[in-house]
Amino acid sequence: MGRVIGIDLGTTNSCVGVMEAGEPVVIVSAEGGRVTPSVVAVSKAGERLTGQVAKRQAITNPDNTIFSIKRLMGRKFNDPEVVRDRKILPFKISEAPNGDVKVVMGDREYSTAEISAMILQKMKMDAEAYLGEKVTEAVITVPAYFNDSQRQATKDAGKIAGLEVLRIVNEPTAASLAYGLDKKKDQTIAVYDLGGGTFDISIMELGGGTFHVKSTNGDTHLGGDDFDQQVIDWLCDEFRRDQGIDLRQDRMALQRLKEAAEKAKCELSTVMQTEITLPFITADASGPKHLNITLTRARLEQLVMDLVEKTIGPCQQALADAGVTPAQIDEVVLVGGQTRMPIVQEKVKQLFGREPCKGVNPDEVVGIGAAIQAGVLKGEVRDVLLLDITPLTLGIETLGAVMTPLIPRNTTIPTAKSQIFSTAADNQTTVDIHVLQGERAMAADNKTLGRFMLDGVIPAPRGVPQIEVTFDIDANGIVSVKAHDKGTGKEQKIVITASSGLSKEEVERMQREAETYAEEDRRRREEVETRNAADTLAYTAEKTLREQGDKVPSDLKQQTEDKIAQVRSALQGPDINEVRRTMQELSEVLQRVGAAVYQAAPPPPGAEAPPGEEPPEGKPPEEGTVEGEFREV
Amino acid sequence: MDNEEKDLSPEEIVQREEDVVSELEDMESLQKALSEEKAKAQDYLANWQRAQADFINYKRRIEQERNETAKFSNAMLILNLLPVLDDLERALENVSAKLAGLTWVDGIMLIYRKLQAILEGHGLTEIKAIGEPFDPNLHEAVLFGEGEGGKVIEELQKGYKLHDRVIRPTMVKVGKSKEEKEESPEEGQ
Repeated sequence: MGRVIGIDLGTTNSCVGVMEAGEPVVIVSAEGGRVTPSVVAVSKAGERLTGQVAKRQAITNPDNTIFSIKRLMGRKFNDPEVVRDRKILPFKISEAPNGDVKVVMGDREYSTAEISAMILQKMKMDAEAYLGEKVTEAVITVPAYFNDSQRQATKDAGKIAGLEVLRIVNEPTAASLAYGLDKKKDQTIAVYDLGGGTFDISIMELGGGTFHVKSTNGDTHLGGDDFDQQVIDWLCDEFRRDQGIDLRQDRMALQRLKEAAEKAKCELSTVMQTEITLPFITADASGPKHLNITLTRARLEQLVMDLVEKTIGPCQQALADAGVTPAQIDEVVLVGGQTRMPIVQEKVKQLFGREPCKGVNPDEVVGIGAAIQAGVLKGEVRDVLLLDITPLTLGIETLGAVMTPLIPRNTTIPTAKSQIFSTAADNQTTVDIHVLQGERAMAADNKTLGRFMLDGVIPAPRGVPQIEVTFDIDANGIVSVKAHDKGTGKEQKIVITASSGLSKEEVERMQREAETYAEEDRRRREEVETRNAADTLAYTAEKTLREQGDKVPSDLKQQTEDKIAQVRSALQGPDINEVRRTMQELSEVLQRVGAAVYQAAPPPPGAEAPPGEEPPEGKPPEEGTVEGEFREV
Repeated sequence: MDNEEKDLSPEEIVQREEDVVSELEDMESLQKALSEEKAKAQDYLANWQRAQADFINYKRRIEQERNETAKFSNAMLILNLLPVLDDLERALENVSAKLAGLTWVDGIMLIYRKLQAILEGHGLTEIKAIGEPFDPNLHEAVLFGEGEGGKVIEELQKGYKLHDRVIRPTMVKVGKSKEEKEESPEEGQ
């Protein structure tokens, strides 16, 4: 029992995921975020804060707000990285008797594992809130270059947080899992991770189902924040040139600029230019000033080119250390929000000579990979039942030679679906079930899987008989179609084995064609529906005149008959607009007929109702067998 | 002790013994097969129950999410409109003495109020900040400086709640108490 969660414990942000019905899902935090800032604090009141809330009060509480703890995990006080970071980080870092790093928060010292544990605890709580059950096991990711003591510290952090860490997984491995690369043959993978504050490149080899890290490199102080800063600086420079005021001196303006710069940067990943508009950004003696500057993607790329180039060196070094050439790289995986930028993706493509994998949200890809690993390790308390989907829509041919779908494509099987159809003509005694597979609107454009007939239908006005058609697909993909006459109880069935279906190539071709012809198909289907409606209307009109003719004044009756004739003649021709027009006119005349009938003696019950009954499920129009169509007027 | 037994030849007895042994073996393998099938059936039932349970839980959660979505479906749109509200406020705060009397300016004020009212109608409420004790659940501190310690002394950007959820915390300047001022002379970032 109990689900295993996967946690991406990041330097700036953390992400937690879990497997749900065979798919990895990112768990949303209590604050509504898909990632949680890796920040911990103790407020002046002694309250412990984690995540977004801790980040919001960081400025007012610099001594007791701990962030980027990952930079210190598992390291010794005298490590060169720690020495360097000590200069930048505002909180107090001290040395434990054994040389380990400790941080001071509130009035006591904490080990780095204890701080990370607080973050993990928050992720755990959010997961429990989402899942509605306790969580006691997790998979946690670490950078590939983490050494033993760093990994152990991470494991300890998990333990302190009340989580049994089933495995510590390398971040690039997790990213590869998210793309399902472990399912492919042996290969060499490069993982390019450009996040908010750090850049990491890893070269890995997948062999015999396991990942081996061959080399790592990077820049611990290069990330999206640096890109934002370039934009902010440029905006300030442009504004000073235009308006003579240096916004850098105005704290409030800077705040707005920061947000606007990041937003513009993100937008330029999808559009070629964006307008940054900040009205009343500042004021001087002559009055208020507005910032209204257009930033093009080209300009942005110029501004950040140096930063992007800074990633090349580490990549080349990593390749050299791994002893592989770019040509030998089989897949490139992108991690980190900053990799969304087109110029970054282009640079990666240039470096490695291939398109990188990018379908998964780069901020979440490591968390998702961790969740996948968690699922694999838990081995699923039960066997995973691998279920197939039916690749193409299944249905039958109905009035007007269209295909009426019953089971849409990509439905998971086994499954069954029933729908009630009826006859198209009065006194029709057999229905022809033409089983089709495909995405096109017209029956003829799809593949015939089989045909059979159900006879012995009791003669009745069209649309009255109820024929229940049931499609059933079993777990092996065997399709059986049954037609059951609810009136007579008679039944016919056909079983279609997989061999009469389509190959993978044919499936793809049909899907492509469906897209190409989507507009045309839609139009044709509409046409058929209009014709069917016109036909039904004419039929109804004829029936009404037959049954209620005596109540209708003769000139109106003549008009109606004329209109009916016009509709029927329009139906013979190809012009659908003509059909619509005559149908409209007949409809108007019929309304007058209805009024006339009601003004006469009280009509016998049901005289003016549409012919036949609705099928019991209350299914509206669009039912019919080959020739049968039933429509509401 | 029957006559039957006396009539059996040694060969027939051996045959009978062999038959019995063979039947016992058959029974054994059948029982083994039976218990295997039973185990399988149990397994299938258990898996089916779990799958069913998962499905029910999933449905329950989707229902919850759907209710949430209905309530907050406009959250994104409203969040994106807030900067416009901010800018309108700035515009109105910056009416120069020359413009102050203009009816036209009054018109803009009316438009602003109307926008406010519409958003309020959708559940938007302003977060109280100035003068309040700083609360990171509601406010985001971006400046830290002279003022009453621990209180919000300036509002850089209004914060809002949609129904009961904070959609944008108030961007504030928090006051630094005297002791804090002595500790670190830095202000903000």
